Amino acid sequence: MIREYYRSRVIDTTINIVNSRIESIRNKNIEKTSLRVYDGGFIGVAGAIGKYSDEELFREAREALSKNIEYPAAHTSNLSMSMDCRKDIIPSEKLREETEALLAELRERQPDFIFSNKVGLTEVHSSLKNDDGLNLDYADRAIRAELVFKEKTSSSIFDGFLLINERKYDRKLVLEEFELFLNGYREKAGLPGKGKYPVIFVSEMAPIAKLVTDLNGEIFAEGGSIFSGKAGQKLFNDSFTFGQNLNPEIALNTPFFDAEGTVNKNYVFNLIDNGVLAAPYCDKKNAHKYGLTHTGSASAAYDGVPQPSLIRPYIKRTANSVKELLGGQPGILAWVYEGGDFTPQGDYAAPLQVGFLFDGEKIVGRLPEANISANIFNMFGDGYRGTAPNTFLPFSTFDFTVVEMDVSW
Amino acid sequence: MYKFKEGFYTDVRIEEAYETYISYTLGKLDDSRIRRYKAAFIRVFDGSLWYYASTSDTENIQNEIDKLYQAARPNPDILNHPIVSSFEVHQDKKLQFEENSVEKIPKIEKENLLKLFFPALNRQSDIKLLWKSIYIDARKKITLFSSKGTELVFDTQRAGYSLRLSFSADGKTFNDSFQFASNNFEDLPRDEEKLKEFIRKCEDFMMNAKPVTPGKYTVILSPLAAGVFAHESFGHKSESDFMVGDETMRKEWALGKKVGSEILSIVDSGLMPGSGFVPYDDEGTAAKETYLIKDGILTGRLHSASTAAALEEHVTGNARAVNFEYEPIVRMTTTYIKPGSKTFDELVSEVEDGFLIETIKHGSGLSIFTIAPSLAYRIRNGKIAEPVNISVISGSVFETLSEIDGLSDKLEILSFITGGCGKMEQFPLPVGFGGPYVRVRNMTVQ
Repeated sequence: MIREYYRSRVIDTTINIVNSRIESIRNKNIEKTSLRVYDGGFIGVAGAIGKYSDEELFREAREALSKNIEYPAAHTSNLSMSMDCRKDIIPSEKLREETEALLAELRERQPDFIFSNKVGLTEVHSSLKNDDGLNLDYADRAIRAELVFKEKTSSSIFDGFLLINERKYDRKLVLEEFELFLNGYREKAGLPGKGKYPVIFVSEMAPIAKLVTDLNGEIFAEGGSIFSGKAGQKLFNDSFTFGQNLNPEIALNTPFFDAEGTVNKNYVFNLIDNGVLAAPYCDKKNAHKYGLTHTGSASAAYDGVPQPSLIRPYIKRTANSVKELLGGQPGILAWVYEGGDFTPQGDYAAPLQVGFLFDGEKIVGRLPEANISANIFNMFGDGYRGTAPNTFLPFSTFDFTVVEMDVSW
Repeated sequence: MYKFKEGFYTDVRIEEAYETYISYTLGKLDDSRIRRYKAAFIRVFDGSLWYYASTSDTENIQNEIDKLYQAARPNPDILNHPIVSSFEVHQDKKLQFEENSVEKIPKIEKENLLKLFFPALNRQSDIKLLWKSIYIDARKKITLFSSKGTELVFDTQRAGYSLRLSFSADGKTFNDSFQFASNNFEDLPRDEEKLKEFIRKCEDFMMNAKPVTPGKYTVILSPLAAGVFAHESFGHKSESDFMVGDETMRKEWALGKKVGSEILSIVDSGLMPGSGFVPYDDEGTAAKETYLIKDGILTGRLHSASTAAALEEHVTGNARAVNFEYEPIVRMTTTYIKPGSKTFDELVSEVEDGFLIETIKHGSGLSIFTIAPSLAYRIRNGKIAEPVNISVISGSVFETLSEIDGLSDKLEILSFITGGCGKMEQFPLPVGFGGPYVRVRNMTVQ
């Protein structure tokens, strides 16, 4: 019988902002432990929040084994890696002071807006260890601001978001970045009329939900995916590469290993490689069950059996800048487009609540509310312009993905 | 009992949870777990800032309280602060689910409930079906103490199942789920025939659904879609934390203003049985029924003690937290549209060209609200016609409520076991939805 411990500790300080002023400070320090036991092709799991008795947890995990939950694949063994990505950002006890300073400047420089929601500093420690030589450790820390803004004259509950999530902090640059959006929001802009336009998304927030649902190995193998039976086929643009990327350089507060202890080569697994469907994503169990490639894509609740999950989807860079991808054409920077979805055939549509006219180098102004739509095979096929690093925001390190979509007002 | 220092408002919310999760894929067990934990959320208020701590170490709550006192500044007049004055104070024990606690139901019975449906799911057909069946229950016992004298013990409970269905044939695919939830395990429906009927409907939909031409149409929303519509289009707008310090919002959404069609009334109630039932909220306010809109007129909004004080209104029992890791914020409970006078057939017969939305995947609500339909049908010349694939329907919150021109006569309240309401970092919060069939003109359909 193999014993395996999966532990995570989250230490978090979060400031809540109401009406552009600090309302509260929240501290959290929560440890969750999972004990898995593997025996004879089965798995048993027990979990605890906070303090626990190891003996009791082991008894519960052994009891769970009796449920005969199959785990036909081999547990990960003989792998030892440790990574501490923590950098000095701001001491957590200084976060309140810094947030006050940031808000004071925003109130002074942007008096037409009201700001609310959170600024937080989160430290994550994760480890996965078993008595068969698996020993993985990860620690990280990031600062995030998720500010909601609204014009004082607006009747909406809010008008848009200002987001940062980094391992660094520089108030001056953060303010400069926020002001690009706020000043852009104030300026009204227009486009000639309905038609096809290049639409720019922050890559992590691009409309990829259909790729995530339909590249699930189980759905793929059982025929329920629009990609079923198409492995090895070229389905998308030559330059479109999509997959999972746990490279600690870009994946913040996300361990470089999955919940089964798999560490991919260079931390990356491409599911779509230069337009060709290479593999759907799988945890060990589904890879074994369906004879598919194991892609290191398992996540687990602290007391749950690992399940398939595309942990951190990414789109590979193809260009040096959004400007290059726009080729002199104006683009629409999609900023708020809540609630859109795909039909079973892959037709995506969403209301674009906040979109900016973007000339390749700067935000020109806010466009009227619009509707955006495209089929997934076009969006990442002929309509895929590419993905590029940020070159116009002074602080954030987002990548941007540019696709052609039908836009109507 | 804890030592609360003078000069501060303090409350301690202790959460004792029991939860079951069982899942099968194609009849094979994927996961089966029982979760028990005890943890706490502590709040200290000094009149200018709130200080919070979340801890799983419930034996050292006093230490956590004392640490928060060190960060805060004592305020001799704290009891007269408008927020502190707004708190209701109750001493009560309301353990409504102690007798029929899901904890007392043997796990085998929960597994057997799912297994009841296996024969219908393992049907012979040319249409392939990948299915997952999930059973979830949760009972939470909340103990709440405050420095104003609140001493409460109450519980909430829900149990339910979700059968996730993924159909495929001839290169076509379709996903939907068959789910029910209730406050009690015994009340969960065990109707295999209903599942078979739903499967047939999904299969027919997948094989025959047609694309739509985008545009503005009259749409009839099922009670499920209408409930989500009420929640997204107006419920979030009624959460007063969006209004604090915002003069424009206060003027724009002044009570007494006409905001919708005369036939429209929307209610939020924590008293309604189902997944939104909460006898007290997470700061100790007793559940209430709040009319948000009555006969088209804005009549109320949802509050915590902070927002009630800021807007000089009364608490409504809507300060809720998803769990012990978060502070209570203003959230809905069960939000529903009151029924009208038409039959469903009358509603349909009056539509020349439109759509019926029967099931949905999700909704969202900012200045534009959205609903992503799953099962949807064309209505042509007053009759329900072919199934259609719709990506999203949307409308302006400011205009759509006035476009409601018909309500059916039966109210249906729905509860859910998976998903829930998301607001900023706090997701998923169990809420209830409901309404009659609701007809809305000029919805954007894509």
